[in-house]
Amino acid sequence: MKKVKASLVACAFGLTAVLAGCGGGSQQSGGTNQSPANASAPASTSASAPASSKPVEIDFWYALGGRNGEIIQEMVKKFNDSQKDIVVKASYQGSYYENHSKVLAAVSAGNQPDVTMVEVGSIGAFADAKVLEELEPYTNGAEKKYIPGLLGNSYWKDKLYAIPFNRSTPLLYLNRDMLKAAGLDPEGPKTWEELRQYAKTLTKKEGDKTATYGFSTAIDIWFYEALVFQSGGSILTEDNKALAINSEAGKAPIEFWTSMLKEGIMKAPPGEKYNAWDVAKQDFLNGQVGMIFTSTGDLRGLKENAKFDVGAAFMPANKSYGAPTGGANLVILAKSSDEEKKAAWEFINWMTDTAQTVPFSLESGYMPVTTEAVESAEMKAAYEKEPNFQVAVKQLEYASPRPMVPGYKELQEVIMTEIQRAVLGQATVDEALQKADEKGQKLLKK
Amino acid sequence: MGTVGRRAWKTIEWILLIGVGLVFVFPFLWMFITAFKTMPEVYQFPPSWWPNSWQFENFRIAWSSGPFLTYVWNSLIVALGTLVLQFLIGVPAAYSFARYRFKGRNMLFGLSLIALMIPSQVIFLPVYVQMSHWGLVDTLWALILPFGASAFGIFLLRQAFMQVPDEVIEAARLDNASEWKIMWTIMVPLAKPVLVTFGLFSFIYHWNDYFWPLIMTNSDTVRTLPIGISMLKAAEGGKQWNVIMAGNMILVFPILIVFFFAQRHIINAFVYQSK
Amino acid sequence: MQKAMAASDGMLLQKQARRGHHQVWLERMRPYLYIAPALTFFFLFFLFPIGYVIYLSFFDWSLLNLEEMDWVGLDNFSELLAESDFHQVLGNSFIYTVSTVFLGILISFFLALWLNRSARVYGIIQAAVFSPHIISLVSIAMLWMWLMDPQYGLLNALLEMVGLPGYTWLADPKSSLMSLVLVSIWKGVGYNTIVFIAGLQSIPKDIYEAAELDHSPWWRTLTRLTIPMLSPTLFFLLVINTVSSFQVFDTIYVMTQGGPVNSTNMLVFYIYEQGMDFYNGGAASAASVILLVVVGILTLLHFRLMGKRVHYQ
Repeated sequence: MKKVKASLVACAFGLTAVLAGCGGGSQQSGGTNQSPANASAPASTSASAPASSKPVEIDFWYALGGRNGEIIQEMVKKFNDSQKDIVVKASYQGSYYENHSKVLAAVSAGNQPDVTMVEVGSIGAFADAKVLEELEPYTNGAEKKYIPGLLGNSYWKDKLYAIPFNRSTPLLYLNRDMLKAAGLDPEGPKTWEELRQYAKTLTKKEGDKTATYGFSTAIDIWFYEALVFQSGGSILTEDNKALAINSEAGKAPIEFWTSMLKEGIMKAPPGEKYNAWDVAKQDFLNGQVGMIFTSTGDLRGLKENAKFDVGAAFMPANKSYGAPTGGANLVILAKSSDEEKKAAWEFINWMTDTAQTVPFSLESGYMPVTTEAVESAEMKAAYEKEPNFQVAVKQLEYASPRPMVPGYKELQEVIMTEIQRAVLGQATVDEALQKADEKGQKLLKK
Repeated sequence: MGTVGRRAWKTIEWILLIGVGLVFVFPFLWMFITAFKTMPEVYQFPPSWWPNSWQFENFRIAWSSGPFLTYVWNSLIVALGTLVLQFLIGVPAAYSFARYRFKGRNMLFGLSLIALMIPSQVIFLPVYVQMSHWGLVDTLWALILPFGASAFGIFLLRQAFMQVPDEVIEAARLDNASEWKIMWTIMVPLAKPVLVTFGLFSFIYHWNDYFWPLIMTNSDTVRTLPIGISMLKAAEGGKQWNVIMAGNMILVFPILIVFFFAQRHIINAFVYQSK
Repeated sequence: MQKAMAASDGMLLQKQARRGHHQVWLERMRPYLYIAPALTFFFLFFLFPIGYVIYLSFFDWSLLNLEEMDWVGLDNFSELLAESDFHQVLGNSFIYTVSTVFLGILISFFLALWLNRSARVYGIIQAAVFSPHIISLVSIAMLWMWLMDPQYGLLNALLEMVGLPGYTWLADPKSSLMSLVLVSIWKGVGYNTIVFIAGLQSIPKDIYEAAELDHSPWWRTLTRLTIPMLSPTLFFLLVINTVSSFQVFDTIYVMTQGGPVNSTNMLVFYIYEQGMDFYNGGAASAASVILLVVVGILTLLHFRLMGKRVHYQ
């Protein structure tokens, strides 16, 4: 009978040991210098060990899945293999949204990574919360090699915090075969009016059901920003203190979308956040939609899975062309140790260097980030062969940085919820805009 | 009612029975079917009722989308660890409530019953902040400790301990057995059915738990299986429902198979709660 | 039993007293020592968090920076209660709870009456009905998300097969909440049914025989006999179902993220979003307190209302 009790206690100890191993052990690499309240944290690895004897381990959290995620893993492996001083451990965290939550949660818990990618609209929030490390002491001017148009979301209050990595703009994707068959210019519509015309021509009904929609886009903040830019406006005022959408420019996109929806020539894909994007892309691939908006980062994926000729073009102009930049920048977390931060910069510098950004861009569709890369022979040759890959870079001329005030995450949700009400017919365009403006201003005042 | 009428009713009842059964079983079948389809088959409308070829590949993709072995291992540690802790804490508490008379016994017992009415979803925010202060966020401890004291377990065990006839205990005490020994070597074995019941209930609950690990963990090293499976949703291009369903099958079908063989035990375990 | 226990305890104390004074102290403390670990855990992980979240609800704070907390008194509550979004959340939670509890209990009650028979097939169907209950809610959520896909999902395929138009399910704010209710009922009905069956089986047979002898019609037996005898079970299920319906999170997180346009945003999800996505710790704490109060009141109400009606044997 004593055996029962003894084995129970043994079990308990055994589990404790395993727990200590599993829970505590792996936190060490890339961990912080904070007093280890972690169950069994041995003395911080980075404190005393001389840099030369053991490689510095840093944690990299990224937010790209699927093929692009695999590419990142391959790049990380290449970096690790290419030198002996730094070992990077990369782990996938889900979408941008999920990664952000996790990074911030980890920061307050004390076990954040050393390097991560932050979606450009959130850089301000992270910098303001003192989560990011200022980069100029590390770069020593290296930031000059990046395309100026991409650095808009890298500075907060005039300090450098983030380096462009997987940058994108939204594009208009076209099913060229479908356009040709309908007698339309396979290069696609150049203005909003043309978009409407094309959509009308491409829409095919079978009785009551619509078999093909001319156009589809997720009703997402990023595309709304684009259309506002195209209408000559912006989301926030110059000083970032107030909302600027209660204006002609803010209204135009909503009216444009709702009128096309009413006409039945546009489809608003169901689903929240990226789920809606997925539906739009799937519909496009299935030939059920002729034109969609989505990121340049989807270019490779769409091209490979489509059974038709895929074209990429500027988003159509209203008063002018316009687009927000997007994607993510790489950042260093402020709470890491000095050694880890130095290693992190080495890693970031390597990941965004011309030699890496060229193949990354060609493999994924994201834009190359250095000027050198864009002008390189390799890139030029690739663009000759596949002009689609150059569209985003060309559109940069008309691009603007995304708003990135702290709290923009909640703000964009609030704005889009109200706009969605207009799209769903629950509110008129004016009512929706009014509500969005009210709620948004309240948030900004906090 | 004539025999013909009765037979007609019987047939109708059989049809209805099968209908009800299907309502609950067919979704799992659909998960099974989808898991073996190719992507084009998945995105077909009207859907195909049977996969053209058996894509075992989907399972491989699901399994290799992340460190699944780690996830399984973590789920196991959390479910078992919680159970052991609940056992170690619950047995003495239940024994004390059941067999000792002491001041404040009823009040303290009542207090612990309040915990039954407070699901973890309601207090996750303060517990998260607490764990953050203690540095336990993103560790397996954060998944186990908050559940260490199970009001339900103590309640059940107390019932069981109260049923043990006094003579047995008296005899043991006369034999100079220590209280500690009596508790572990006599009471516990006698309460085995309740222990099995509670064990099943607790294990299944924590194995399936998605919410708590979602809140408390971020790193791959401490993630549990349900979280791992849910990350299958974030693929690129369209959703790969076939891979997603394949991943879910890994989570669901082992339990369904166990259930098939141990129906009565499992069902009884859950029914016990109501008594 | 009490007397025997007293005698035994007395023997115990006497025995130990012979061993020395410190031993007596140990024996006196033993009951408390045994419940100490449990009480410590209860305090740390139930009672303290409740107090803590009430405390936190009076501050403006954020998970981004736990060092800075500003006292704002009742501001969090007044802001929360003035927000139209929160009204929507409360409304959704209320509708969801009433629907799932009412439908869940009603359906399972009749299922229990029907399936409570000894033939093997009934056992099989009982098991089938119960099976979703032991599966992870996350898997169920993903499965139903796929079944309810407006374009490729099986449910709309079946509808079209019988000539009905496809339903909007999760995609439209008018149908999204009820779609979640459906999923919840599918998962939960089995548990309720089994519990009802256990309750039915514990009703003594002779009571039914007496009713039959009295030529009591089936509906009278049902209302005057079965239901009152089942009242403890009914009461238990009402409380469990209500409390559990306020816990809903997994299905929302996986299937709708609170949308479209907040039509499926409910209390726990709202707290999660405010606290962990938007970093409004104050709003999240205030909402948590409100949730606690709601659950507390509902539980008390149940005990009050049903306490009188429950008929114990």
